[in-house]
Amino acid sequence: MLKQMKILTKLELCNLCGLNVLRFSRDKRAKKRSLGLLALWIILLAMLIFYVGGLTYGLIYSGLEETVPAYLITLSSALIFVFGVLKAGSVIFRKEGYDILCALPLSKGSVVVSRLLRMYVEDLLMALAVLLPGMAVYAWNLHPGAGFYLTGLLGLGSIPLIPIAASIFIGALITGISSRMRHKSLIAASLSILAVLGIMYGSSRLSAMDGGIDPEMLQNLSATVMALLGKVYPPAVWLGTAITREDILSGVLCAAVSLAVFAVVAAGVVLCFQKICESLYSSAAKHNYQMGVLKASTVLSSLCRREFRRYFSSSIYVTNTIIGPVMSCVLSGALLVTGPETLKKLLPLPIDVGQVAPFVIAGVFCMMTTTATSISMEGKNWWIIKSLPLSAKNILDAKILMNLLLLLPFYLLSELLLIFALKPGAGELLWLVLIPAAIILFSCVYGITINLRFPILEWESEVRVVKQSASSMLGGMGGFLLAILCAVAVGIVPKGYAVYLRAGICVVILAATAVLYRKNNLFDICGRI
Amino acid sequence: MLKIDHLTKHYKGSSKGVTDLSLHIAPGDLYAFIGHNGAGKTTTLKCVAGIQGFDAGTIQIGGIDIRKDPLACKRQFAYIPDNPDLYEYLTGIQYLNFTADVFGVGAGEREERIRKYGEAFEITASLGDLISTYSHGMKQKLAILSALVHRPKLLILDEPFVGLDPKAAVILKDIMRSICAEGGAIFFSTHVLDVAEKLCNKVAMIKEGTLIASGDMQAIVKQGQSLESIFMEVVEDAKTDENTDQTGTM
Repeated sequence: MLKQMKILTKLELCNLCGLNVLRFSRDKRAKKRSLGLLALWIILLAMLIFYVGGLTYGLIYSGLEETVPAYLITLSSALIFVFGVLKAGSVIFRKEGYDILCALPLSKGSVVVSRLLRMYVEDLLMALAVLLPGMAVYAWNLHPGAGFYLTGLLGLGSIPLIPIAASIFIGALITGISSRMRHKSLIAASLSILAVLGIMYGSSRLSAMDGGIDPEMLQNLSATVMALLGKVYPPAVWLGTAITREDILSGVLCAAVSLAVFAVVAAGVVLCFQKICESLYSSAAKHNYQMGVLKASTVLSSLCRREFRRYFSSSIYVTNTIIGPVMSCVLSGALLVTGPETLKKLLPLPIDVGQVAPFVIAGVFCMMTTTATSISMEGKNWWIIKSLPLSAKNILDAKILMNLLLLLPFYLLSELLLIFALKPGAGELLWLVLIPAAIILFSCVYGITINLRFPILEWESEVRVVKQSASSMLGGMGGFLLAILCAVAVGIVPKGYAVYLRAGICVVILAATAVLYRKNNLFDICGRI
Repeated sequence: MLKIDHLTKHYKGSSKGVTDLSLHIAPGDLYAFIGHNGAGKTTTLKCVAGIQGFDAGTIQIGGIDIRKDPLACKRQFAYIPDNPDLYEYLTGIQYLNFTADVFGVGAGEREERIRKYGEAFEITASLGDLISTYSHGMKQKLAILSALVHRPKLLILDEPFVGLDPKAAVILKDIMRSICAEGGAIFFSTHVLDVAEKLCNKVAMIKEGTLIASGDMQAIVKQGQSLESIFMEVVEDAKTDENTDQTGTM
């Protein structure tokens, strides 16, 4: 069993983030893309280190050094948990290689454990990226003893265990429920989104300060923060306290409890693994089709219909790309409920909510467009498109149109909520409608541009494309960063100039969209991909 | 119909590929393309189908250069790869409708053709099911149907008989013959030399990316010999020539 686990885990990890391709591919272009992705990861890591380092320094500077480990553990656990819920089902119960592994003399347990270990390694890297810079700043400033390092090291290995276990539990439950239904992918995606929204709502309720902050709480802010973190995620406080107090025994106990929780959930997944996989992948054929009247469609509508079918066939694709639009509606709804004045009081800067809201909403909308990975999602079927008499414009228009049609109901709902919340005048209404529309259009076209430059067609799991590819990261960041930068610019300029700035932004964004669209359509799609 | 002149395609960092390959396929030709695994058959077919670029040479389909006007070329042919990875998220009929839409086939025509070939290949009842539920053979039949639905002038097939049941293989051979009899052309790779010999009027043999023989089947297959023995003979001769050349240069 151990030997099997070792072999399978090695197999799982060998192509983590396309490392095997980078190692053995003779295709220089593929190597360049992998190196580009690596560079992107390094940039993101540097940004994270900078952020975490600054945050830790801020906490220490404010006299909250006791809360640093617990704060960082909560942060990394939250990241692992939310991303875990979105990908657990696709990683654990993925189809690729399932038949081959089932036919080999391997135990179910070793297959499941190897997939869990893959998740563990990925998430451990995430925990390291958050914890290490923070702990380094902490150690540099406070010079703790050897017990801090020992407990910290022990804790580091155990941090991903409980969030992974929780996300696997929810992921397995969602996959198990959806596997019994006809539209498996759609049901799984809907349940995943509901779970993430539920988690966000729950944590916001938990962390809300009932009755506000009283003077006694301010006097002992450190204890208040720890109590707050304890409400959100109690293990973070246990382990965090063990680290700051250099209590190795408590650290060991925390690690043991985390391991036990992980083992129980893993055992549960092993028990239901085969049943869920069989329900997922043994779709029965009806074999009762009778020829009826067929209808002809235009090339664009036929391609667009195919794009929609592709999209809704993958739960991870749907979950990751629909969460932004859903969140936009939630935010607009929240603005309607709380009112712009209340929000203005909560913000640290004197920003006009009405001016900034369209950019923020657009930014959240564009966190992950479908177009940024739509070419990569073609995978092994790409030959069909290449062999058909289709121009780049035909193919790309369908992908953009699908993305826009998908976003349209969310856009309309979000706009409606924003209009009711902000009650804009005629001029403001124009910007409220136009700015998100322009940014969304830009991000759809920009997504295509990015995916044309960073396509991956040979992948073993959709997770690789949707969550780990350069396209998904760059495509998601582009529209989001643009919107946020514009929001900051509009927020800080004097009110009299804001209208000119917004007009200028719209013109520049639309012009950039037109340029990218034209360039995309001239791309040698068959020759270069 | 199909004119390949001095086609050269090499993969970076690999010795595999195709070197200076020239072939002319006329309307009515049923052209078999044979060779060992990795000889360059699939590479050639992919270049012809516009799926893969090439380093040198020209490929013309119906007198149109595939590099200059790929869409006009692609409107004239259908390509089926050796492993038909079709859209598993579509049903069979959705896939056929998609292909027909791309080629602008009218509703009546597509209905008639799907009905005709679907019944011939006994796949009509499965057309409402997702392709993910299909066996390899059924996927192959569906890929063939999708090629026939738009009546191409040229069919480019990579190992078309793999996975087909005996009845479907016989039907496909009949269809191939009738397409060529009506003035179409078929260029296909195969390892089944017996089928190639009986079915085709022309044959090309490729070894390590170089064309070693091509022409009329009757001219190549001499009396009393099979295509199989000729193929082995030609391949061995090529090997000997190669060795002699290498010795000569040393």
